[in-house]
Amino acid sequence: MDILSIIFIVAGLFFLIVAAIGVIRLPDMYSRSHAVSLTDSLGAFLMLVGIALHEGLSINMLKILVVLVLLYILNPVIAHATVRAALRSGLKPLEKENS
Amino acid sequence: MATRSRPVSSEFLFFKAMALFVFWVLLSASFEWIHLGLGLFFSFIVAWLNSGHSPFVPKFRLWLRILLYLPWLFYKIIQSSLHLSKLILHPALPIVPHMISVESKLRHHAAVVLLGNSITLTPGTITVEVDGSNLIVHAMDKNDEAAIKQMESKIAHIFKDEEPDL
Repeated sequence: MDILSIIFIVAGLFFLIVAAIGVIRLPDMYSRSHAVSLTDSLGAFLMLVGIALHEGLSINMLKILVVLVLLYILNPVIAHATVRAALRSGLKPLEKENS
Repeated sequence: MATRSRPVSSEFLFFKAMALFVFWVLLSASFEWIHLGLGLFFSFIVAWLNSGHSPFVPKFRLWLRILLYLPWLFYKIIQSSLHLSKLILHPALPIVPHMISVESKLRHHAAVVLLGNSITLTPGTITVEVDGSNLIVHAMDKNDEAAIKQMESKIAHIFKDEEPDL
């Protein structure tokens, strides 16, 4: 069980690192917000599942699962609010035409 | 969207209080009588305070269909997360950032909310603006539009038996 939780946490860390690299490499604010949403959808998910497995069957595991559900409900709200605020304040998205 | 006032059945009040009470027990994690009693008392108080202006009525068929939709959405999230990670780590950074204007045929507020949330949850696409049932989406890849169309048809299937309210 410990090995399984270590695998989950390391996989989560991998996606968090990829998201951080994405925030640095991607060109404009709109595409960077995609990288940030990657943190929540897989990075935090895998880390929390790893921690829940480490806790075993207890009330703490249930609490972690509640955090997970709240994260999945709140993440799109925050991402949408940030991006819409950027668009309404007049930030032009970068349109790159290379296929 | 204006909140509509409608009479709420005592049965519904009871369901709401029970949902709040389960949440209380999860967070407090103590099974002493004084804590359980206080939780029950405040669950009913909060449910009663909120009962006047809630347009939210439980429809079990609808919720069952949404629950069945979630695993598919989760599969899509994992798939596009891996795809986006590949794009970010690719040395040439082969991204095509562009705006898509999605004119959906959905006729429910809840359906549009579900579509917008699904699009934003999927890495690589973000809902930027919502107007009625039309959405403006920022996407990172060429074939994201087909995925959004597929998502929309799934959601239209979920809501096909409900009364349109948009």
